[in-house]
Amino acid sequence: MNSTGNLAPNRGASRGTFIQYRARHVISWVTGILFTSLSTLIVILVPALLGALLVRSWTLVSAIPLPRLLIGTEWRPLSGAFGFAPFIAGSLWVTAIALAVAVPVALLGAIYLAEYAHPRTRTSLKPLIELLAGIPSVVYGLWGILVIVPVVRQLAAFTRTDNPTGYSVLSGGLVLAVMVIPFILALSEEVLRAVPQGLREATLALGATQWEVVKHVLLRQARSGIIAAVVLGFARAFGETLAVLMVVGNVVQLPRSPFDAAYTLPALIANNFGEMMSIPLYDAALMTAALILFLIVFSFNFGARLVLRRVGGTDDVSQ
Amino acid sequence: MRRCTLFYALLSIVLALTSAVGCREKQQITGSTTENTGKPISISGAYALYPMVVRWSEEYKARHPGIQFDVQAGGAGKGMTDVLAGAVDIAMISRSIKEVEVEQGAVPFAVCKDAVVFVVNAQNPVLDLLSAHGLTKEQLARLFLNPEPITWGALLGTGHTERVNVYTRADSCGAAEMVAKYLGVEAQEDLHGIAVNGDPGVAEAVRRDPLGIGYNNIGFAYDLTTGVAVSGLQVVPLDLNGNYQLDPDESFYATKTDIVAAIAAGRYPSPPARALYLVTKGSPDPVEADFIRWVLTDGQAFVDEVGYVSLPETVLQTELGRLP
Repeated sequence: MNSTGNLAPNRGASRGTFIQYRARHVISWVTGILFTSLSTLIVILVPALLGALLVRSWTLVSAIPLPRLLIGTEWRPLSGAFGFAPFIAGSLWVTAIALAVAVPVALLGAIYLAEYAHPRTRTSLKPLIELLAGIPSVVYGLWGILVIVPVVRQLAAFTRTDNPTGYSVLSGGLVLAVMVIPFILALSEEVLRAVPQGLREATLALGATQWEVVKHVLLRQARSGIIAAVVLGFARAFGETLAVLMVVGNVVQLPRSPFDAAYTLPALIANNFGEMMSIPLYDAALMTAALILFLIVFSFNFGARLVLRRVGGTDDVSQ
Repeated sequence: MRRCTLFYALLSIVLALTSAVGCREKQQITGSTTENTGKPISISGAYALYPMVVRWSEEYKARHPGIQFDVQAGGAGKGMTDVLAGAVDIAMISRSIKEVEVEQGAVPFAVCKDAVVFVVNAQNPVLDLLSAHGLTKEQLARLFLNPEPITWGALLGTGHTERVNVYTRADSCGAAEMVAKYLGVEAQEDLHGIAVNGDPGVAEAVRRDPLGIGYNNIGFAYDLTTGVAVSGLQVVPLDLNGNYQLDPDESFYATKTDIVAAIAAGRYPSPPARALYLVTKGSPDPVEADFIRWVLTDGQAFVDEVGYVSLPETVLQTELGRLP
């Protein structure tokens, strides 16, 4: 029953009385049970969440088949039209822009911190980056309104967009990028640092330059961990609510350019939850939005796992 | 190693105990407590009512030491959701209460009135024209109900080629519903425009966009201390009789005092003027009831001062009569 296995019986038993010995065993038995049940809880959480979302969204999904909901572009709950395509497209646009900006910056930053930076630089920069990752999203949103939106408005003036306000997919993507950079950077840096020192030395001994070491050895070794960091970053970006809804314009349409306003799935839920209880299916529609959000993040994770398996993820440092 | 296990065992026990206590506390809260347990009265909802309720709660606290308040704005929709879910004690609502909400236990008390006004940027290129002529209901409907872009020139029949940037609210709120109803449609979802979050959000968006037009509750369009429009904003007069002239009896937008008088006299249309409500789930408990009773009696003294409109005495008496 002693599943913790961290109590060496030859230690303490000689020191303590029989009672103490029993007490220690009881304690370790209890903690074993506790930890097992806690980890079971986490495993149960995902199906439980999915189940709850399915149950709550069922009234809509049974009335209108899911494929039709997914490709429908018409969103007029009052007249019973629930098309999620604008929200899905908006979410994907914003996330794609965010990752396109964030991944290169975060990765290069991680390589610099892990391989090139002076140890003192690293120890002073790390806490700063972690601090950035911990700033509440409403602060990022506010900063987006004050800084990013005006900048995007200036840019929009040079294009032939019919939304010159600056509240757009691009603003949402840029704010998100700033939010996920510290996140992906910190994770990737940890992964790179976890690559055994011997590999670096062996490669350098073969006459490789430092950049060649990074390119051919480290990135290859840490690939799966870095992909995991990007996937986590994607999940975080895709589900970010407040910061995005403050700058994205919240217009229900399929965005056709980065300067168009859009509406994201999390914003749809946040703006309308609990409202319009008089409209049949509205509640179920919001739950369906949550379900779609869940499924997209889940399938992205799943896809990333498949990719990792295909490329034969080396010793998976992320685990 | 051993100490670690012991620590975690203790931690787990502490966690288990606190969560059990947490559950017990929750049960106590939802159960009807007669004495004030020192728990703050939590209030959330409409931005329109927020400045007024903050003032009321301060004044009430000064008279009843020991009562604490937790007031948050987040739109009428959020307030209604919160109060019906039991997350807060009282909701601030800036629209009429729907049948469905009453069925779920919402009990509204009308406490005062205000209005939604249309605002433009103080640097607007056609500001003089707007101030001289106002905007008719049809012109506003063209802006807010039609997703097609339009220039200020096309709207006013002049040669201006600058586009109108229309701003609306993203969070579900009473203000948007009032604007929709004024323009002859049903709901917030019928309004087009760039949707931003919150009353201050719309004000900020228009303040930063010379070509923008939006709408705000008077508490956010006018500056509380100076009484004129918030710097950078200008309130657009409504051309009520549609003669494309701002007649003397239509001109009451210069200061907050003027518009409040117009709302009180019924010269400003309703909607966008409307009653504001405090809503409890089920009948208010003694602590909440006492606060609402004070709001409906002595609290009315502060309504003018903060820039809201008092309800007629008969309405106040009716509301008082509905308190337990």
